Order: sequence, then C-alpha cells, then structure tokens
Amino acid sequence: MLLKRLNVLLIVALVLAAFAGLTTTRAQSATEVLFYYPTAVGGPISQVIEGYAAEFNAANPDVKVTAVFAGGYADIYKAVDTALKGGGQGPDVAIFLTTDMYSLIDNDYIIPLDDFIKAMPNGEAYLKDFFPAFLLNSQAFGQTWGIPFQRSTPVLYYNKTLFKENGLDPEKAPANWQELRDFAAKLTTPERWGLLIPSEGFPYWLFQGFAIGNGQNLVGEESNKVYFNTPSTVEALEYFANLSLKDGVMPKGIIKWGDTPADFWSGKAAMIYHTTGSLTNILKNANFEVGVGYLPAGKVGYGAPTGGGNLYILKSSPAEKQAAAWRWIQFLTTPEKQADWTVATGYIAARQAAWQTETLKKLVAEKPQYAVARDQLQYAAKELSTHRGSDVQRLFAVAVHSVLLGEKDAKTALDEAQAAAEALLAEFQN
Amino acid sequence: MTATTSPRLKTATYGGWRTRLGRAVLPYFLIFPTFALILTFTLWPTVSAAMQSTIRTPSSARMAPRFVGLQNYIDLFTPTTEVGQTFPRVFVGTLVFAGVTVPISMGLSFLLAVMLNRKIRGLGFFRFAFFYPVVIPLIGAGSIFSFIFADNIGLLNTVLRSFGVQTHPWLGDATWAPIAVMMVAIWKQTGFYMILYLAGLQSLPTDVYEAADLDGANSWVKTTRITLPLLSGTTLFVLTTAAANAFQMVDQLYALGEGAPADRSNLMLYFIFQRYNERANTGYVNAITVILLVILLAFTLFNFIVIERKVYYEN
Repeated sequence: MLLKRLNVLLIVALVLAAFAGLTTTRAQSATEVLFYYPTAVGGPISQVIEGYAAEFNAANPDVKVTAVFAGGYADIYKAVDTALKGGGQGPDVAIFLTTDMYSLIDNDYIIPLDDFIKAMPNGEAYLKDFFPAFLLNSQAFGQTWGIPFQRSTPVLYYNKTLFKENGLDPEKAPANWQELRDFAAKLTTPERWGLLIPSEGFPYWLFQGFAIGNGQNLVGEESNKVYFNTPSTVEALEYFANLSLKDGVMPKGIIKWGDTPADFWSGKAAMIYHTTGSLTNILKNANFEVGVGYLPAGKVGYGAPTGGGNLYILKSSPAEKQAAAWRWIQFLTTPEKQADWTVATGYIAARQAAWQTETLKKLVAEKPQYAVARDQLQYAAKELSTHRGSDVQRLFAVAVHSVLLGEKDAKTALDEAQAAAEALLAEFQN
Repeated sequence: MTATTSPRLKTATYGGWRTRLGRAVLPYFLIFPTFALILTFTLWPTVSAAMQSTIRTPSSARMAPRFVGLQNYIDLFTPTTEVGQTFPRVFVGTLVFAGVTVPISMGLSFLLAVMLNRKIRGLGFFRFAFFYPVVIPLIGAGSIFSFIFADNIGLLNTVLRSFGVQTHPWLGDATWAPIAVMMVAIWKQTGFYMILYLAGLQSLPTDVYEAADLDGANSWVKTTRITLPLLSGTTLFVLTTAAANAFQMVDQLYALGEGAPADRSNLMLYFIFQRYNERANTGYVNAITVILLVILLAFTLFNFIVIERKVYYEN
C-alpha cells in the first residue's frame, strides 16, 4: 500500500520535472546573463535595477538579464569567492568595489575588457567620456578591468543655518584646514560638535582627502607600494587626530560612519565629512539649508579619493554570456541611464555626457549641491587599492585608531603600518 | 507463546551465521547515515583545517601553495606581521569575553528563573519579556544596540545626559566598546538559560523544601543548600552551552563597529570572517580555527571529566 503510494508520488514528480525541463529549454533560446549587484546607500535600489533589467530585456530579445540583489559589497565578494573557489559557477557580470580589482585579478576571477572596448565603433570615445578620476581605479597593468558605475567621492556637508547664527558666511564652506578648525571651534557647544569625521571601519577613505591635499596620496601608480609614513601624511594624521585630542571640536574615540548623517540632520553636528551617496538622504531629512563643499585644502590644495563600485565581467562565464554581459554594461552606462541613476541614488554619473542630459541639468539647477561632488573630481586621486587590498587598508585603520585613542603618536603608528604593509606586498612584482 | 518462539528457533538453527553476522553489522549499518554526515561536515573539515593551517597560500592563483609548518601560528603572535598586530589582542579579548559573559549570564538567568518560579501577577508576560531577546536574530540585536549605543543621538547617552551623568562614545572607546559587545551578548542569551533553569526548578521535588521549612530554613539557605545542588545537572548543561556559545556569538559585531577600535572589541570567529577572503590568509584563518577548536575541546572535556563527578542527577 505504502509502496504503491510512493510509486504514484514518484510518477507525479517525474512528470512535473519533465514539464519543468521543457519550459526551461524553451526559455534558453535567449542568452541568460546573471548579474549580482550590492546596495550601499539607502533608497529603493533594487526596484531601480530591476526596472533597468526589464527595459534591457525588452529591447534585446536575444538576451535575458537576471539581476540579483546579493547584499552589501562584502557579501557579494564572499558569495562569488566561495562559489568560484569551490569550483562552482558565479554570476556572469557583477558590481564589486573598485578596490577589489587587484584581488579579483590575483584570484583570476575577472577578464580585461579591452577587446570589447576595441570592438565598439566608438570605443575610445566611450572610455574617454568617463571622468579620468574614476578610471584610475578601473585600470591596471595597461588594461581596463572595470567600468565605473556607482561611484562616489567624499564631500563636506555643513549646516548653513548654524553658520549664519555663529557669524559665518553661509555661502562659504571652510576652504582649508585652518578654517576648518576655526569654524569648527566656533560651532562647537556643549550640546553640539563643530565637526564629525567618521573613523570607524576603513578610515583610510576620508583620510585620503587629508593625505592628498597635503602633498602625497597613500597610494601611487604601483599596485605593490603604499606611502603611509611620508612627512606630509604624518603631519596630516597629527592634524586629524588633534581635532579631537587637542582642539576639542570632534568627540574623542572612534566616530561611527552610519551615525554621522543623522547626527548632522538632527543638529548634533554642524559639519560632517561623508560620501556624496548620502546627499539625497541628507537633503530629505534636514530641515535647514544644507551646504556642500569640497574637502578643505591642505598644504598643496584640494584633494579627495573616489569610491564606490565598478562593473566587472567574470572569467568563469562562457564567451557568449560575456559578450551579452558587455551589452548590458553598455546599456547601464549610457548617458541617459547614468543620469537617471544619479537622480535615483545620489551617486555621481560617471560619464561626462550624462551631465549634458536634460535630467541632470534640471537636477543641478534645482539642487546645486549635486554639482559640487562632480566638480571636486578634478582634484580627485586614486583610492587606496593594492594587492591584498583589505589587509593593507586594515593596517592603516589600526594605525589611525591607535593614534585617535592616544596610544601612539602619528609617526610611530604610520611607520609600523608602512613596515607591515611592505612585508605583505613584498611578494608582488607590481 | 509457542507460535512466536518457534520461527525464532528455526532461524537460530538454519541461519545462525547469518543472524550473527546481521547482529554484528546491523548497528554500523544503522548509524551509517548519521556518521556519514558527521564525517563529511564535522570530522573531515576539522582534519582539513588542521592540514591547511600548515600551508602558506600565495596571493595569486597562479602560484602554488607551500608547506610552512607552524609558521602561521607563530605569525599570529608576531607583532610585526599584519595578522599579528592585533591577533594577540583578539585572542585575549575572546577569552575575556567568554570569562565575563558566561558567569554573568548564568548568574542572571538563575536569579530570573528563581524570581519567575513563583505565583506573581503577570507571570506569563514577564517570562515572555525575558525570553524575547532569544528569538531576535543576533544581528538584529546588534542593530538595535547600535542605536542605543550611538554617540550623540543614542538612547543610552541621551538618558545619561538627562541625569547629568558622564556619557561615553560606547562603541568608539577602547574600554567601553568591548563592554558594549558583552552587554549585547548577555542581554541576548540570558533568557534562554533562564528557561532551562526554570524547567529545572519546576521538576524539583517539593518534599525537601517542606522538610526545610519544618527546620525553619530561610530562603537563602534553601536556595544555596537545596536548589543549587539539585540543579547542578542543569548548571553543567548551561555552562557547556554558554561556553560554546561565547566563542560563536559574533554576528552582533557586524552592527557594532566590526571590532573597532583597532580590534579591541573583536572576537576570534569574526576575525576569521574578516580575513578569509584574501587568498593569502587561508593558512592563518585555518590556524585560528584550530586554536578555537582546541580551546573548546579542552573546556568541554574539563567540564565532563572534572565537573560531572560532582553533579547530582535525579535518577
């Protein structure tokens, strides 16, 4: 009796499986492309991306892009890394951090995109249209490995109302370190901090603004070299740490990244450093006039890193899928799509042509704050990215934290970090 | 009676060797499915981790790994290497985390269980309220507390400020960040151990308490002389579970600053999680895994060999 029932079940299951098989074979006539993307900012990102995928699929019946929201940047990397290390299949195209590029190359996970670009009728013009600062973290060893998509840069946000109340010109953000410290001192009260610069997690990013502005970026052209302990950077770290330790315009200890925007719009902080990716959210929540300025200039001038994610094509993907994935990448980086993406998220449209579209012209006319980050790009330099990227970034974080906690002076901490980083990078030829 | 015994006799006579073989093989056959799972997902990974902990994987997929003996373990405690800079701190931090959270959560859970083991108004509500943190995912608990511990707008500092008490950057301070992480762990697990103790308390015999009452024992004496010894079986179970948990409770770190500042609030398992993506760290993360395993095994063995002798079991 039981056996009979089992048999019936088995037959039903087989029939169902056969049907399922039939339907999938039919759908396979279009090249299926699996696309993993992360979110790192607020807002209905997955709706936007899925909308793009539907639009692309409708216009390209021979390709079917499936967009999979796969967590944060770290989650996607771990998911793909685990799948590929175990000999499994990953996505065909994905967004990873720009700073993951060397690890992705070292692990043999991605392919260079030069052949695709050359095959385009206007390939050179296409590549040239991206802001040069965004390509710094997209190219290595003479090849292009990633296409800029969701890119950002840090800016200074300030509360114009508080500036007015404290006798400061609300149209002028602090232009240099001296002004930054003076303004912050004027704005600091027992209930409010004049300035917050987050130092949690990977503090190298915001700190790069100080290092670049003071004369030497933390990283150069080479992928196996860092510049942590140059005198200009030691001086920059001393200035940065003293904002809390000596000048008392920032709280002592580590400042959390995620809390900072809310501190700003609730009036607990008058000025903050944060990503342009937070602009949309800050404008929405602040009930005062928000000013946006360049990161204040150091000894040699303005400076900022870039950040965010690029589009990469996976090596494990078959050639026809890679070709289809490249069409998807081109679609995502048309000026129109880039402009739309900026409006939806606050990321900086990576192509200069996007800023000539009506969409972005209108946005900038209504909210000039959006143009500040774009204009700062002329001073932007490479984000800290080397082989063994996350280990090297972590070394710098430990150095910054021990200085902020008052355990080590800037020189000692940076010398140690430099030595440890050199030991890590010794095995690489560039 | 005879009807049931005769076929048995028959087998014994004609198929004796088969039955004997069957009896010898059958147990192995029956445990095989479970054992296969344990072999695949527990024993083999353990051996594999131990083996890989002696390997140095190069950063590039194009180079071959090489055998380095115990060098990975040595590096973990050498302050000039990247991992060694903070690993000793994380190692000690993890032991402190276990040493602090386990006794405190056990003590609190026992106290709560005793208090909630009497007839009071709203008993169900209180039991639910204290058990509630257990059903919240650990990462959710971490997120809730990241708001409570936030520096300027956080709940805790706002309350402290309104009473004029000194506030702290809870998650940004070398002293307070590890304490904040421990507080979340204690809050999260105390309710679970409370339920275990509560179950233990309700199965206790009433006659000994009646006898104690006749002797005029007060509640302190009853708790320390009767309840605690009778519950030693529960305590052993809670202790073993809590100690194992203490080395596994790391999800909250994701929301509470990822071990900041400078790995002061970090724990070993999370340290592994942060590093295993870099190919070159494969040897290190396996070495840390082995260290964790050794600590846990040693503790569990100690529990069962030394402590179990002193435990009271009802039957």
